[in-house]
Amino acid sequence: MSDDADTRDSAARSDDGARTDGGPRPADDSAHTDGGLASEASQTSSELRSDGGTARPTGDRLSGNSFLGDFWVNFVRWNLKAVRNPFVVVGSLVQPIIFLVLFTQVFGQIATGAISGGAAGDITYETFLLPAIAMQVSLAAAAGSGIGLVNDMEEGLFEKTLVMPMSRSAMFLGKTAAEILRIVVQIAIILGLGTLLGANVATGFVGAVGIVLIGICFSLWFVALSNIIAVVTRDQESTIIGANLLQFPLLFVSTAFLPLSAMPDWIQTVATVNPITYGVDAARALMLDQDVMTVIEVTRFGGIWDTLVPALVILVALDVLFGGIAVYLLNRASSSDVQ
Amino acid sequence: MELTYADGTEAVKGIDLAVPEGEFFGFLGPNGAGKTTTIKTFATLLAPTGGSITVNGYDVRSEARRVRETIGYMAQETSVDQELTARENIRFAAQAYGVPKSERADRIEELLDLVDLADVADKRAGEFSGGMKKRLDAATALVHSPPLVFLDEPTTGLDPKARNRLWEYFERINERGTTLFLTTQYLEEADQLCDRISVILDGEIVATGSPMELKRRVGGEILDVEVAGSEPGDTHDPRERAADIARTGDVFGADADVAVTDDGVTVTSERARQHGTDLLVALRDAGITVTGFNIRAPTLDDVFLAITGEELDSEDRSADPGDVTGPEVTAE
Repeated sequence: MSDDADTRDSAARSDDGARTDGGPRPADDSAHTDGGLASEASQTSSELRSDGGTARPTGDRLSGNSFLGDFWVNFVRWNLKAVRNPFVVVGSLVQPIIFLVLFTQVFGQIATGAISGGAAGDITYETFLLPAIAMQVSLAAAAGSGIGLVNDMEEGLFEKTLVMPMSRSAMFLGKTAAEILRIVVQIAIILGLGTLLGANVATGFVGAVGIVLIGICFSLWFVALSNIIAVVTRDQESTIIGANLLQFPLLFVSTAFLPLSAMPDWIQTVATVNPITYGVDAARALMLDQDVMTVIEVTRFGGIWDTLVPALVILVALDVLFGGIAVYLLNRASSSDVQ
Repeated sequence: MELTYADGTEAVKGIDLAVPEGEFFGFLGPNGAGKTTTIKTFATLLAPTGGSITVNGYDVRSEARRVRETIGYMAQETSVDQELTARENIRFAAQAYGVPKSERADRIEELLDLVDLADVADKRAGEFSGGMKKRLDAATALVHSPPLVFLDEPTTGLDPKARNRLWEYFERINERGTTLFLTTQYLEEADQLCDRISVILDGEIVATGSPMELKRRVGGEILDVEVAGSEPGDTHDPRERAADIARTGDVFGADADVAVTDDGVTVTSERARQHGTDLLVALRDAGITVTGFNIRAPTLDDVFLAITGEELDSEDRSADPGDVTGPEVTAE
């Protein structure tokens, strides 16, 4: 800003209009603050008008938005963002489709032998694999949740929304609801595609809806986990890597691609404590109309409920646990308390 | 207000200030001085650890939502949703701030016009230049016609053309009655826009006044003269001789402040511009070769030097508050 002649003119201008209230204050004067902004603002709030002429007395607007209104605004925003981002839509759909097509083509012959000896009985590999792919799509979509959050943090939008007079819970719920909508749509696409490839949902349309609901229940803990990684790392790459690092090994050491009996002992042990096993088994029970769960033996409910009940209990418990941690961390991240 | 981070960093040591309605107020200071911490506290993003703050009549801690409803806030980093269009960005803000549905469409158009983005309203913000994004960001902060808007270093990183355009826009909304609270590291910006400025340094306000008052403390404009043949330790150092000539009082009068620099002299005087050439002639007559000269308005450096007696070290102050404490901790 050297030799800037016109600063002098502007200085003169601003000086004319200045309302000075004294020069420097001694440092010790500042020890007792009484929030001087109050006095001026309170006396003017009733007739205060600002640009555009649409400002009304501040009292009018204080009702603000309803919780539902806040929810809806955020729901719409995150849906728009998802549709606009081809990477998100295509990426989280294409990969499972590749898995579905390639796995059934490459391993179909061998795997059919493995599954016919197992609990599944005499079924095609397409039918066996489809519920696993449905769970994989929901995992991929869920992993995107944290990525969206960390993107907002990196671009300053998270902070910007915190300054807006919205309910924090409605903000996060709106975002999560948009992600759940995506999961529903993607599972529906995968189920439709699988049916075209020859897979068959034995429990019919109701079972297909059940698979979608299990997909939601199954993905919520992963939505929470990816948000936890996002809040802790506050870094987009770490969140993507973290989500992928968890997603892929967990898929392979579960009952997703092969029945438990066809896998080595150590994988069988890992699969027992792997949440993916429970999501996949529950979806597969509906797909095949059979009690397919072999990691734990439950017999008291009868039929597919021997798989569905324990799987849902475990998934809901995981949702509550990870959801609780995520809510705690999100609350802390959006709190104004100095850290 | 005071704010100390959990690690003990005293980002704001205790400031006391009042901003009247309609004022364009500037908070001037180097990086790490506590400007952003202060403005974030006013905007309810940080809770003060001491003192009390009332914004538009509401307490920032107990009535945070009411404060949020009645302020606009533009963060230092441009924050627009890149995947949404300009119109969608403004619409999101309008809905989030609870602008009634009946007014929303008109308000969006009005703001698009105001920030000159009407032509590109349906283009995604990701395709915009830095200046356009800033203007869009500003529009989203104004969507609810807040009586008070906080602007945190709004022009940092913008080219002069984009900066001037944003300045014009701020002046326009201030003229319409909106109170503006701006932080900046640039005296020129504060000078151009603000009615009144507080200078903040290391978490404390060290001076408050109109831009003219602050610059007056520097004692006018600054004339830098570069002279040839300056050898350190030379008793006939032309720099010293030039300084003596400048100090005689014939040229600038007794109030001039003359300092010897590495390659010449610096004269600070109300009359630096009018009588600068007289000094150059006097130096030539004394046989001193002038290799260069420059007359400039006081910079933030000069104001700081005048107010605090210490020179502004941009490297020292470019770190964030956490980093600033680093050397102090090691020193202990």
